[in-house]
Amino acid sequence: MTGVGRRRLHPRPRRRELTLLAIAGLALVVGSASLEATRRLDPTGSSAGGPEAGFPPGGLLAVYLAGLALAHVALVLAGRRTDQILLPTVGLLGGLSLLLMERLPQDLAGGLGLGRTQLVWLLGSIGLIAGIGAFARGDAWLRLYKYSWAAFGVGLLLLTFVFGREVNGQRLTLAIGPLSGQPSELLKVILVVFLAGYLSENRALLVEQSTRLGPLRLPPLPYLAPMVALWAIALSIVVVQRDLGAALLFFAVFLLLLYVVTARASFVVLGLLAFAAGGAVLYEFVPHVRTRVDIWVDPFAASRAAGYQVVQALHAFARGGILGTGLGAGLPEVGGLPPGGIPALHTDFPFAALGEELGLIGVLAILGLYLVVIERGLRIAASAADDFRAILAAGLSLVIGVQAFIIAAGNLKLIPLTGITLPFISYGGSSLLTNGLVVGLLIALSDRGAEPPPPPQAARGRFRRIFDAVAP
Amino acid sequence: MDGTVLSIWLLRLLFLTLLYLFLWGVVRVLLRDLRAAAREPGAELGRLLVLASPTGEPAVGAAFSLDAVTTLGRDVNNTIVVDDEFASGRHAVLTYRGRAWYLEDLGSTNGSFVNGILVEGVAPLGFGDELQLGNVRLRLERARR
Repeated sequence: MTGVGRRRLHPRPRRRELTLLAIAGLALVVGSASLEATRRLDPTGSSAGGPEAGFPPGGLLAVYLAGLALAHVALVLAGRRTDQILLPTVGLLGGLSLLLMERLPQDLAGGLGLGRTQLVWLLGSIGLIAGIGAFARGDAWLRLYKYSWAAFGVGLLLLTFVFGREVNGQRLTLAIGPLSGQPSELLKVILVVFLAGYLSENRALLVEQSTRLGPLRLPPLPYLAPMVALWAIALSIVVVQRDLGAALLFFAVFLLLLYVVTARASFVVLGLLAFAAGGAVLYEFVPHVRTRVDIWVDPFAASRAAGYQVVQALHAFARGGILGTGLGAGLPEVGGLPPGGIPALHTDFPFAALGEELGLIGVLAILGLYLVVIERGLRIAASAADDFRAILAAGLSLVIGVQAFIIAAGNLKLIPLTGITLPFISYGGSSLLTNGLVVGLLIALSDRGAEPPPPPQAARGRFRRIFDAVAP
Repeated sequence: MDGTVLSIWLLRLLFLTLLYLFLWGVVRVLLRDLRAAAREPGAELGRLLVLASPTGEPAVGAAFSLDAVTTLGRDVNNTIVVDDEFASGRHAVLTYRGRAWYLEDLGSTNGSFVNGILVEGVAPLGFGDELQLGNVRLRLERARR
């Protein structure tokens, strides 16, 4: 064995991961073959993108699979006892995304074209997963600086409020020089890190102390402040950024984590009441919210205007039926809006496109993959050594799960549609890289032999004194 | 042409089957993992890990499984015997009540500390917190599951 620096390499085989990766790779190769065969059958037809000149069919997929294999090798070489399910599961989702992007009109993304750009971002995401999964050992950099992270997140949000570029009526994109991205994607990770730090430190107090208000048992009053602040941040995201999806995601994850930590239904009831009140007020006063809800209630009222996307998505699911039309045989043209096409399909409606081409069976399999990610995350949380890691792992997996639910349910007209991305499937660099970061952290957290947590800080100062005054 | 259509159908069905083969493979692993976790005697509520102990009793690195009530002190009748010259005979008691951990100091001579703060009466604890009795430092950790 060769030494690397001072640490020696101790490769540890990951047989489960290898087997699952092999199955996923085989499935993707068959899917790619099916896509190619469909294209050849009907070269003039729906698959407007077509294989690009100078690039053999399936070439993008081959590069992607090589990337997955490299990630596996990196994790083997790191030799840690970490989770072996997440990488293949996420890899399969990313591969499905690649197959979808390859067959959409390539001019949706400038420069390289949709498929290739997506491949670059997917490789970056896989690289993040492997890098963090292999190298991130301690968690002090997250644990000790939670307020710094929170300040950074709020700063990012404010920057977007002020300097954000408006795209499709939503002020989401922040461009600094050549870099541009959607901060709300990164913000969800920062939110979880902050909540994990805050809740793990104050868990004992939140569980025991309470203020009675009629039949409701509220958390102790000083601790209501961060909750109210979060509620306000969620509302301001809706009003200023017109980003319903992110607001819903933040608030849902916050309530779920609060319940995970305290096991008190009353907090959740309270949060839902606050949500209902906020929702009613927003519906009255913010036109953007009202439009979204009205479309949800009856998209057919304006099926050629505001409700067009949703109506076409419903038609797509209906065309798909149980087995689907087959990869490459759907009608998702986007650019010229022919009948049947869905605007913004590659970012907001990939679930509807997959529903059309893979049918109910395929869509259920995709939802199953997201459930697997959630289950692994909660298992990692249940076996974590201390509260911070447990809450962090639970929060990270719930972020992915809730986000997938919000957009999938929006596509299906189960809840009002919001412009949020489907993790690992939607087109977009910010989304793919952040979700790669999330899964990488989950893999790193699953290592119980990792560095012990740093000693807790004594400075609980003011709150501790309040508690001491109240305690018998 | 018929052959092409047929092969496309076969490829489509094969693709969907493989998706479910993957899911089946994952679920098998998950079930095995959950069963293994269920078989382990998992009655412990938490663990107490010894971080520092000048006298070697308890030994550094030792981990104690915790029940709902754990007494700590120099006396041999304690659940965890802390043989340190600055520890009292009946020094402190660690309890799990409802959903949270508490450390109660039993009127020890030199006091008990949680994360470096002197415990007056009862102090709530979370997993990851450090206790100190005399020169012995311990960390409360979640049960291994």
